[in-house]
Amino acid sequence: MAQEKSVAVSDFLSKAELIKQGAEARVYRSEFLGKSAIVKERFPKRYRHPVLDERLTHRRTVQEVRAILRCRRAGISTPVVYFVDYTSHCIFLEEIMGSLTVRDHIASIQQSDSCKEQELEHLAECVGHILAKMHDEDVIHGDLTTSNMLLRHGLEDGESSLVLIDFGLSYISALPEDKGVDLYVLEKAFLSTHPNTETLFDKLLKSYRASSKKSSAVIKKLDEVRLRGRKRSMVG
Amino acid sequence: MYGSLCSRVTLENSRQDTKNMHLTKQLELFPDHRVTQMLFKDVKNAAELRQSAVKGQISGALINPKMLVNPFQVLVATNKSVHLQKTGKMKTRSLYSEIIFSLSPTNNISEAFKKFGISDGDDSVMVVLVHSRDESQLLSDIAAKVDGLQIPVEDVSLLSDLAKIKKLYKVTPQEEKCGTLLDAVVCRMATKDVM
Repeated sequence: MAQEKSVAVSDFLSKAELIKQGAEARVYRSEFLGKSAIVKERFPKRYRHPVLDERLTHRRTVQEVRAILRCRRAGISTPVVYFVDYTSHCIFLEEIMGSLTVRDHIASIQQSDSCKEQELEHLAECVGHILAKMHDEDVIHGDLTTSNMLLRHGLEDGESSLVLIDFGLSYISALPEDKGVDLYVLEKAFLSTHPNTETLFDKLLKSYRASSKKSSAVIKKLDEVRLRGRKRSMVG
Repeated sequence: MYGSLCSRVTLENSRQDTKNMHLTKQLELFPDHRVTQMLFKDVKNAAELRQSAVKGQISGALINPKMLVNPFQVLVATNKSVHLQKTGKMKTRSLYSEIIFSLSPTNNISEAFKKFGISDGDDSVMVVLVHSRDESQLLSDIAAKVDGLQIPVEDVSLLSDLAKIKKLYKVTPQEEKCGTLLDAVVCRMATKDVM
């Protein structure tokens, strides 16, 4: 029976458009029940022991899906989950149309030379605010980068909203340490991808601090983690 | 084919093309399966229909349209149910009861039937059929059993009891700001097995 199903999904995916292949999963675009959808397929890893592979892959799929629903309940924009196939570990998600990654957005603003400082600051504040909300829900994203944040253009008013994506490494935790590490990952990714944005990131943290009730413990841990990083001397 | 139906569509447009009132969609994952939704209002024989369904005499799912936001919600439930049927993992006994169960945000089967199935006093019903190819005869056979007025499936949003839906699916106020009610409903349907 499971064989039969795998064939149906693999048939479906063979006709879908592969848009990304990562070490963990393949991402496709296709139509699903009349809507544009993204399918994230966690394929089997032959280098792993099969039983272990199944357990890990299943767990990652479940964690991703749980994090998405938890975020939505808290009012954080994420793609809608349409269907999860636990036999082939595929997640069928809403495709966010008319969107741009925050990474590309920042890059284009920086390149354009115009004085869009305010807009970037506003964006940083929004991101800080959303991450605060997410951490207050005890959701750790696990892979915070500006490529995993989308700016969806609102239709009427031209206002854009932030959508978080790729919860593949996410988990639930109340520990300030875990939240601090989550922010640290973002900081590293942010500063390496977007040069000269230290002040911008500071604005982000400031907004985070203001939006979250538990932020002081988290920021404290962030400072500790920063001292721990690579090429850091842990003296004194 | 729809000749027998026309007499039931007693509204002003006796010339209305009743063929377009139902909605048929092929499942992308299961291309030999098609899902047809038919919506009826002013239904007079809900009790009789329910009895027939319980006895397994109707090869379709009878759903309370007040709990539906959009036909997409039904498609999501049906897709999941067909998948579970094919992999031998249904929680209920038949595909049609599984569709009703899949609509529910919880894993309590009897509660699902109570809230999403039809009750004797209901005056509207959504009929969901899963079939292969164009089984127009099947559609008109089933429609003939319903003593009511067929209306376009898209009109289901006019019958929705939004307050009840929000309450049952436990939709938070914050959630409503970042997405539609349909988004909230579909997300819960798709993820309830692991929450």
